[in-house]
Amino acid sequence: MRSSTSGSNSVALVYAKMLCGICAILIIALEVVSNVLLKQYSGTYLRVSQQYVQAVGSRPSNPGGPASVLMVGNSLLLAGVDVDRLQQLTATSLRIYPIFLEATTYYDWLYGLRRLFREGARPQVVVVGLPVSSFLGNGVRHEYGPLMLFDAREVLDASSDSGLDRTATSNLLLEHWSTFWDARSILRAQILRHMIPHFEDLFMLARGKPTIPQGAEFDRIASSRLRRLREICEAHGAKLILVIPPTPSSDSVARQMATASRNVGVETLVPINPAVLSTRYYESDETHLNSEGAALFTSALATSLCKKIVTAEPVTSPDKKAG
Amino acid sequence: MLFDSPVYFVFLIPIVLVYWRLSHRAQNIFLLVASYFFYGWWDWRFLALMIGSTTVDFLIAQKIAPGRSDPNRKKWFIFSLVLNFSILGVFKYFDFFAGSFLGALDSLGIHNIPRLLIRIILPAGISFYTFQEVAYIVDVYKGRIEASRSFFDYALFISLFPHLIAGPIQRPVHLLPQVQKERSFDAERFFDGLMLIFSGLIRKCVIADNCALLANAAFGGQFGPSNFWVVLIGTYAFAWQVYGDFSGYSDIARGSAQLLGFHFMVNFRQPFLAHRLQDFWRRWHISLSTWLRDYLYIPLGGSAYGQWKTARNLSITMVLAGLWHGANWTFVVFGAIHGVVLSVERYFFPAKTKPGDAVLPLRSTSFFSLWAQRILTFNIFCLSLAFFRATSLASAVQLLAGLSNFAWRSEYASAFVMLCLFSIPLFLADLLLEAGNHEYAFAAAPYAVRTGLAAAALVVLALFSGSSLNAFVYFRF
Repeated sequence: MRSSTSGSNSVALVYAKMLCGICAILIIALEVVSNVLLKQYSGTYLRVSQQYVQAVGSRPSNPGGPASVLMVGNSLLLAGVDVDRLQQLTATSLRIYPIFLEATTYYDWLYGLRRLFREGARPQVVVVGLPVSSFLGNGVRHEYGPLMLFDAREVLDASSDSGLDRTATSNLLLEHWSTFWDARSILRAQILRHMIPHFEDLFMLARGKPTIPQGAEFDRIASSRLRRLREICEAHGAKLILVIPPTPSSDSVARQMATASRNVGVETLVPINPAVLSTRYYESDETHLNSEGAALFTSALATSLCKKIVTAEPVTSPDKKAG
Repeated sequence: MLFDSPVYFVFLIPIVLVYWRLSHRAQNIFLLVASYFFYGWWDWRFLALMIGSTTVDFLIAQKIAPGRSDPNRKKWFIFSLVLNFSILGVFKYFDFFAGSFLGALDSLGIHNIPRLLIRIILPAGISFYTFQEVAYIVDVYKGRIEASRSFFDYALFISLFPHLIAGPIQRPVHLLPQVQKERSFDAERFFDGLMLIFSGLIRKCVIADNCALLANAAFGGQFGPSNFWVVLIGTYAFAWQVYGDFSGYSDIARGSAQLLGFHFMVNFRQPFLAHRLQDFWRRWHISLSTWLRDYLYIPLGGSAYGQWKTARNLSITMVLAGLWHGANWTFVVFGAIHGVVLSVERYFFPAKTKPGDAVLPLRSTSFFSLWAQRILTFNIFCLSLAFFRATSLASAVQLLAGLSNFAWRSEYASAFVMLCLFSIPLFLADLLLEAGNHEYAFAAAPYAVRTGLAAAALVVLALFSGSSLNAFVYFRF
């Protein structure tokens, strides 16, 4: 490096190097601290990682035993399904392995499921529970998703499918590799929650409503996505069932989605018709079910699942066929 | 490649480390390849367009210097201008003008016209590098600079990656000699470069991206139907967003350039402390406003032919400045508002300095009068931003129509707290910069203090920057 030799220049160089060193140390420290914080204190991380390990261990049941069901979904299932109650209600016929991660959408679970299968999960039934807007929406969840649901291969495929450019793809890859980068917006939200009164209300408002494609576009996207999900599940011997959880004013899109699913041979469950649920069953955000709504939905889901799975033909896994 | 993305630093750090180990010629070729890689990272297809227009302008410049005896000198000059503006026009404005023309025919009752509209993608940075090419051609033609003899030097002047996508628009007379001459490593400027990058990241990732949350909600209708408070939150938040965003981008660009031994012109000088709109345009996007002054306003006649012609020239310049920002009538109206207000100001307060000149201290103005003028200027700018940010004229008018409704919601208080939380630090930094006339806050502090501040900035970045990458607002232009 050709450098001038003046005194102030050499002082500046020392501080420039020191600054670069501090940056490197801070980045490493942030990564370590984020790792510790996330793995020790994040309820979401602890829950999903535990559920993930259990889901990887899912295996086809012995004849006559309860069918193994992998159930994935976002916050609508997290709020709307009382897992313990669901497992109680279906204990004799189903063994349910839930993984619910907030704000996840179609691509999170398309590639999340692919990785789960690759890591050894062999459920007989896969239940994907997403509202229509999440099923048809583009993009992936940036927090937790790339870290917990994807491998680098999934990151690249999800990025390509959702039309991300190279910069956004590299960002998603970093979210997969770095705990800090993945969790930084969670950190920011926690801090702002303490600094700004009613930050949740403001954030909820600012987030806006998702848009749902209309007409032929709806059918085209829904069909191709359902087909891909079904192919992944069938390739691993699992049957796909789509569950549409209730959200206010979603009855017509739920019907439209059910029709699209039928057309591609995917079973769809709408355990509760959204039109019959009044606002008293929802939280103040008017999206998630409250405890009363969750009790109703859990019972209805248990009944629908048992009816659909137990009475349907058993699915034989390729592993069993091979054996 | 966005300046606030980690991949940019993965790109920049090895570039800087290798660059300072090379000879001058090798440095230029290395930087040219790196700059083309930087541009191609977004879309390789448009690299050919940029290299093509660079080559044509390089060849034309050889023919048009005043000393040349080429009888077609003027024709080559006009050909270059027409070519450059045609490329810009096709890629940036074809859809807009064709769509507006068909819309006008439609409203006149002429229907069923075959729609030949094709969806043209806007190449990144085309407005910026075209303006730089035009400035070069004009300066060579007028004899202000010599035509570059080396294609690599000229190509690097056009495509040097820190300014390539969104400026600051570099003047040939300022940057080309820096490309041509040997650059020596200056640790003080290197350190300042690092500080500018930190300053830029804070402005973009902390200030702009958080204010964007509020601006998007207000303009997107998530705060409910438009009313006085929604307009206030939306336009104020967008003002701080676009300022933090673009001044942050400019700081990172200037900082990156300084790591490589180049100096870029300052692009923002505390614009929200302007006491008039004339003053505002001396402080806001200075590289564009001075370009427009030198290559459009003065050739039109400037202020030399009386008040009416001055007003006309100002209005033309500002409408075109508005249109430069994007192919939409909202930008035309944004420019027109500025043109009208500048003309009115010119009438009542004749300019003593040229746009782009250093701002004169306001010795004769009282404290309260000065701040009243600053607040008024800021609010005029915010009002014009309603058009700048809106997706259509109708939605801008709809937003402003709510100004007489004062219905309050409790969430607005949280929005104002958030707005203050992220705008006040930048405002205080601007007050500090205004008092010290430095290029970044605390530039005169000892190295140890500045190093500590940079480390603190990194922590603030870690704690307050958002999750998703938000493209810089000016990338669209």
